[in-house]
Amino acid sequence: MPIDAALIAATVDHLSRHAPFDRMAQTHLAWLAERLKIGYYGKGEAVLAPEHGAAQTFYIIKQGIVRGEREGEAAWLELHEGECFPIGALLSRRAAISHFRAETDVFCYELPAADFHSLLDLSPPFHAFCTLRLADLLAQSQRQTQARYLSASTEQQSLESSLGSLTRRDPITCSPDTPLRQTLEIMREQGIGSIVVTQADAQPLGIFTVRDLIGRVILPNTPLDTPIHALMSPQPLGLPPSAHAFEAALAMAKHGFRHVLVVDDNRLVGVISEKDLFSLQRIGVTQISSAIRTANGLSQLQQAAQDIRQLGHNMLAQGVGAEQLTLLLSTLNDLLTQRVIELECADSALDRICWLAFGSEGRLEQTLATDQDNGIIFEVHAGEDPEAVRAECLVLAERINRALDACGFPLCRGQIMAMNPKWCLSLDEWKALFARWIDAGDPEALLNASIFFDFRPLYGPTQPARELRNWLNRYIHDQRPFLKLMMQNALYNTPPLGLVRDFVIDSGGKHPNTIDLKVNGITPFIDAARIFALSAGLSESGTVPRLRAAAAIWKIDTAKVGGWISAFLFIQTLRLKLHQEQLAQGLPLTSHLDPNSLSALDRRILKESFRQAKSLQATLKNYFQF
Amino acid sequence: MNPLSRWLRHATLDAESRQRLAAWRAQPNANRASPFSDARYVVVDVESTGLDLTRDRLVAIGAVAVCEGKIKLSDSFEIILRQEQVSSTDNILIHGIGGESQRSGLPQAQALLEFLDYLGKSPLVAFHVSFDATLIRHAFQTYLGVDFRQPWLDLAYVLPALKPEFSRSHKSLDHWLGHFRIGNYARHNALADAFATAQLLLAVLPMAQSRHISDYRGLQSLEKAQRWLSWAS
Repeated sequence: MPIDAALIAATVDHLSRHAPFDRMAQTHLAWLAERLKIGYYGKGEAVLAPEHGAAQTFYIIKQGIVRGEREGEAAWLELHEGECFPIGALLSRRAAISHFRAETDVFCYELPAADFHSLLDLSPPFHAFCTLRLADLLAQSQRQTQARYLSASTEQQSLESSLGSLTRRDPITCSPDTPLRQTLEIMREQGIGSIVVTQADAQPLGIFTVRDLIGRVILPNTPLDTPIHALMSPQPLGLPPSAHAFEAALAMAKHGFRHVLVVDDNRLVGVISEKDLFSLQRIGVTQISSAIRTANGLSQLQQAAQDIRQLGHNMLAQGVGAEQLTLLLSTLNDLLTQRVIELECADSALDRICWLAFGSEGRLEQTLATDQDNGIIFEVHAGEDPEAVRAECLVLAERINRALDACGFPLCRGQIMAMNPKWCLSLDEWKALFARWIDAGDPEALLNASIFFDFRPLYGPTQPARELRNWLNRYIHDQRPFLKLMMQNALYNTPPLGLVRDFVIDSGGKHPNTIDLKVNGITPFIDAARIFALSAGLSESGTVPRLRAAAAIWKIDTAKVGGWISAFLFIQTLRLKLHQEQLAQGLPLTSHLDPNSLSALDRRILKESFRQAKSLQATLKNYFQF
Repeated sequence: MNPLSRWLRHATLDAESRQRLAAWRAQPNANRASPFSDARYVVVDVESTGLDLTRDRLVAIGAVAVCEGKIKLSDSFEIILRQEQVSSTDNILIHGIGGESQRSGLPQAQALLEFLDYLGKSPLVAFHVSFDATLIRHAFQTYLGVDFRQPWLDLAYVLPALKPEFSRSHKSLDHWLGHFRIGNYARHNALADAFATAQLLLAVLPMAQSRHISDYRGLQSLEKAQRWLSWAS
């Protein structure tokens, strides 16, 4: 051992506390440490700037905080101990884009560019770290690339993959004239449960499955020479190969199918079965949805509600992303709610109520902890007394609310439920109420706006909800001051990023030393998306669709919007995981996370996600300077 | 030790040692007027058998070079000197060099020659120079018969001169390390302390530069002035 190895060993030890060095081989770390110099930068001093020319040095922060800023951009980046820069510039052998300045006294480990490139060749984890982070060099969005860690970990699981990549073999088909006997023989030979009926040009006409045998063949005593086109289910559901697996899962859940055809330009290229999608799961999406559809009483629905939660856990354990998961949970919860309403008002004047979902349910962003947020728009026919209609609706609403409670959707503590006369209104009353809030613009109105303006029809005729949405968008368009108030209100909620420590945590209260992932985490994104959507007159109620649609209208850089969405979904995923842990330990569900419980990498991504929230807020402020 | 016994000691060195010593002597002295960006300084910390400068002996030398204003991690040095008599347990607990290591260290003369090879003629830097310089000088006299008179710079005076507002509150190395939030991976280990002190020197250089001091000589003048000031106050 050379005599000066102690310093190298101490440096290796220090480096290996941070990603990506924690995954690198000791020999490579020693190789790195032997080539490092340490530089010092006093507070405020420039470490690296675009005008310094092509990047010569790879910096790893030993101690202190470096702030990266890009000219003409509100977003900035704070780098802490163990973080590195400027990777993109070094990889592409050009000047840095950002200005890097010492925010405190800073000591940096410094590696010459040539050694940086040698290390890339030497160490696969280091290479992966540098290139993954900057897979999108054009977008140059460090935030977004950090979110790539996320997709890297979810790539293996099926719901993110395209249907094209899931189809394993050529689909087995037969022509429409094939007799039943021959069709069944093909199915038995091939060991398949379904067969697609196609025309000569491979255009799918229908599908026939073994499940159809009982109802269509055995019981009716159908002769075996019947042509298959008389027995198949026509117009099967088809999706393009580029569609994601979760879209197929959603389609199955919505329609109760067990198979989805993969169709490219009207030609059949494959069949995806429910088994393909959830081969590892005990509970399938379609089992649950068909159980809900055929449920005749509360106890069956309660079982289905439990199954939905179990499905959520299984999918979370498989690493299904937050967007798909919350959408799937919301879709199934929608089905359940619809069935509850259907059963409860089997003998009532069904056609006059439009059941509304508010809050997270309205945004299709339900997690495992979901209480009720709902209301009713009822129709008043000419000559009717609205109060009489309301009274009738309220009786029904109370039954529905209580049934939903029994299914595990607790009654809303804020009384935002259809059984509350305040939220059981005719269309005109809703309009008048919304108008009062918008005109008043007081704190209560702003709070209400954040819940009720995310409404979405869930049951009954959708026309009243559409009309209310259109009316609201028009009304608010002429009420810019209210939007401005909403914006100011949203900007009060600053992401809990600390300057000295990583995060600002709650010091006291019921949950000391935690971050509230709901209030401080996802709410800034939700609030901003709502303001964008209201201002642009969008019909979307979900945060991600709202951000995407707003981005298209305002021509916001897609990489930037992608960064916001990734950050939002990352925080949602953390919330879901937290809920899962709490459920496993029998604790009440909250969104209070102790940042120390996160892995170093998750901490960094969370930090980055909060920076994204700041960037979104800065953009919001920019667009609404009126 | 008088010049005669020094000469005697020198005369008893083996031929190879004398040759190495001569080669070191032949090196030109460092130009103390070279700018920071073009100079090599060696930051030193030592461990001893105790705090009595007249009686205690040198146990270890740790050194880290600051070249052109940066620390080069590979340009560092650590050596343990062999002790005939192992230091007391209390002392071992401070620097962590156990009896076995003390006995198995390099023979003193050879260890000091290794240090000279590493040092060259670079000017030295330490925190509380008198301690380090006295022990090193004493060792050189005893084991090599050499009067070691290389220039030293004392950060314990330079730092309060540059940051007078902290001159009263910050006295020890730990105070200043805390001030700049410099971590120390193993306090009272000669190399770790030298490494931490070298990081202090990195912070000193730009501060000195902002006062138009750009070379070692300028820092020495600053140190001298501060010594007068601390006497006067």
